[in-house]
Amino acid sequence: MSEIDRRKFVGAAAGALAGAWLAAGCKERAKSPVAPAGQPVRLGVIGPGSRGQELMRTFLRVPGVRFTGLCDVYEPRFAEARDITREDTPTFRDYRALLAAKDIDAVIVATPLKFHGEHVVAALESGRHVYGEKSMAMTVEECDRIVDAVRRSGKNYQVGVQYHYATWYRDTLQRVREGKLGKITHVYAEWHRNNDWRRPVPNSGDVQLERLINWRMYKEYSLGLLAELGSHHISFANEIFGGAPESVVGSGGVDYWKDGRETYDNVQVTYRYPGGQTLFFSAITSNAHEGAQIRVYGTEGTAVLTEGDAVLYSEAKKLKASSVTKLLIDHGVMTGASYMAEMPYRGKGEEVPVPEDVEGNANYLACESFVRSIVNRQKPEADEREGWAEAVAVILGHKAIEEGKRIWFREHTSRVNGVGA
Amino acid sequence: MVCLGMAMAWPDKARTDPMPTNLYVQARPAMGTEFKIYLYAGSEDQAVALFDGAFAEIERLDATLSNYKPDSELSRINRLAGREAVTTDPEMFSLLQTCMDYSRKSGGTFDITVGPLMRAWGFFRGQGKYPAPWQLDKAREKVGWEKVRLDATRRTVHFTVDGMELDLGGIGKGYAADRVARQFRNAGVKAAMVDAGSSTICVIGAPPGKKGWLVRVHEPGRRSLAISTVLLKDQGLSTSGSYEKFFQLNGRTYCHIMDPRTGEPVEGVLQATVIGADGTTTEALSKPVFVLGAAKGAKFLANVPGTAGFWVLGELGKARSAEWNWPGCAGDCGESLEANGERKSTRR
Repeated sequence: MSEIDRRKFVGAAAGALAGAWLAAGCKERAKSPVAPAGQPVRLGVIGPGSRGQELMRTFLRVPGVRFTGLCDVYEPRFAEARDITREDTPTFRDYRALLAAKDIDAVIVATPLKFHGEHVVAALESGRHVYGEKSMAMTVEECDRIVDAVRRSGKNYQVGVQYHYATWYRDTLQRVREGKLGKITHVYAEWHRNNDWRRPVPNSGDVQLERLINWRMYKEYSLGLLAELGSHHISFANEIFGGAPESVVGSGGVDYWKDGRETYDNVQVTYRYPGGQTLFFSAITSNAHEGAQIRVYGTEGTAVLTEGDAVLYSEAKKLKASSVTKLLIDHGVMTGASYMAEMPYRGKGEEVPVPEDVEGNANYLACESFVRSIVNRQKPEADEREGWAEAVAVILGHKAIEEGKRIWFREHTSRVNGVGA
Repeated sequence: MVCLGMAMAWPDKARTDPMPTNLYVQARPAMGTEFKIYLYAGSEDQAVALFDGAFAEIERLDATLSNYKPDSELSRINRLAGREAVTTDPEMFSLLQTCMDYSRKSGGTFDITVGPLMRAWGFFRGQGKYPAPWQLDKAREKVGWEKVRLDATRRTVHFTVDGMELDLGGIGKGYAADRVARQFRNAGVKAAMVDAGSSTICVIGAPPGKKGWLVRVHEPGRRSLAISTVLLKDQGLSTSGSYEKFFQLNGRTYCHIMDPRTGEPVEGVLQATVIGADGTTTEALSKPVFVLGAAKGAKFLANVPGTAGFWVLGELGKARSAEWNWPGCAGDCGESLEANGERKSTRR
């Protein structure tokens, strides 16, 4: 199968999955129990920091879930995490000890990006299913190792791009695939905030503690805004365009928050896809006017997606030529001052309906889907291929910013969406 | 390599440092009101870090407990629990258990299911209207704490009547204030005050050299006039008032605070203030104490250790006060409280 054919195949398969999910899955999800009675899905978490704790709370809302192991190197996290489980959940300071425990079915990896590769592969090789926070890993090689470990182990891996499960994202994707927006040529996305993106450190003079808690600020541990925020948008664009991009250019810098951070406080990247489509992504930390949005531009319309909804707009109808009566030639045309607004026609927009039972929380839908995939022995929707495509785009986007030049994906990987050549 | 590979201990510096003397304040909108936090910290940087952590926790709880936000956990429960038993997380379940416990102990005068009544009386995002009898009957069918089933073994919530809804507006701000207080205590903060929209206040310790945080109870309808002043230390205080949202019809005043037992607004009480161990307790108690009035409210409070109550009864312009175990003094009398710690009667 050629590279393009493989991309088309992956895109078409994902489209079929999305359609099936929309048609059959939504209503059932809210009504049937997830895990069989008396057989809880037992979860361990490596890295119950702020995001890890949010995932714990959300997983505990899924019927039949129990936490049976907590691993961290930062002692206060244990008390915080036990406050969530309201149990004396066993604690481990070494992830290998957690993986050696017998009563764990699946592992959540919510450690700093630098450690995703190591922790996810070890968990898969220990025979556990893995919910891995995005981005999948910090290097292309680590992403490859995770994909290979999933294939070898036969266990589930779900990447933490929760908006994949948001009903308004799935519905929009379905309409895109049905051609409702025409040919999609561009996706413009941003995640703009107006804060320093720092987490509070109990003792601001403690340099080690600062690096531990604010690991997102340091290049040793993180790929910055592109990985932590952009991965959601990149993942969605990959779904629309049927796989990973082929090249990227970018810029960024520490230009506003000059507070000792190393990762950039603003980044802009432009990805090109094999079909000639473009994704532009911007993240800034000095103005929140735009918030988190994705705009999908097609020749027939536009979809605007936020964290809570999606609205579709039609392009103005292209008019056909109409015939002119001879009268105009005889009488001429009238002259006078003219005015036309520069703004194009947008119309009122059509809100993408959200099914009543699954309204709202994308995190819940993602966590519930992961548990359900374990119980039903099904492959997760946001699987290792989606994780690989998202993470490699993040990694090479970061490289493009660092090196100030266009980066071609083919020069850094021979795989397509994680599948080896 | 194990996780980050750095062995860390919780910094103990704040605990061993002397009491800081710099007072910092930060206010942010949350939970449909404004939270204002005061704290003593060693530096502005330290204060900012503490504020950031505190408001992150408040925002987290707002996103969880809100019945306005469709993606909140409470909204998910409200959507589904009429049709099936809904599993929720231990924190939410525990808070709902606390609510049911207060409902039981207060004889149903605290009730987080009163939403349909509020709608029937036009107080949901409105100033009120007299409902038609059928509207009231329909609302009553969907109200009642005993129609909420909590299963602790499965951690589930189930409504025995479809269409019911839970509203944590009568306890959520106090709970959020307590969570912030707990966070501050863990970080070694010795003196702080969390003011949740002025209706619930939760304090840690006392300002340097003082016996407590001064809190003034104002006269209903006149925010500038204090009718009693109290000193709080490691306590909570909450006030419920009927004078912010009401309507009058045929000489009667109908306020937005419902007696869940009758399905009708409470009459004859303008304001009730409760002091207790923490913000969750006082915010939850302030409603039954308002609904029950002074005599029955005092009897109810007598069964809850560490509480005190202060009522303003009657109507605006012709009000009288009543109190039980109240440690405050009359008017704006903070100096005398600080000077001798004595209380004077607040009865007017």
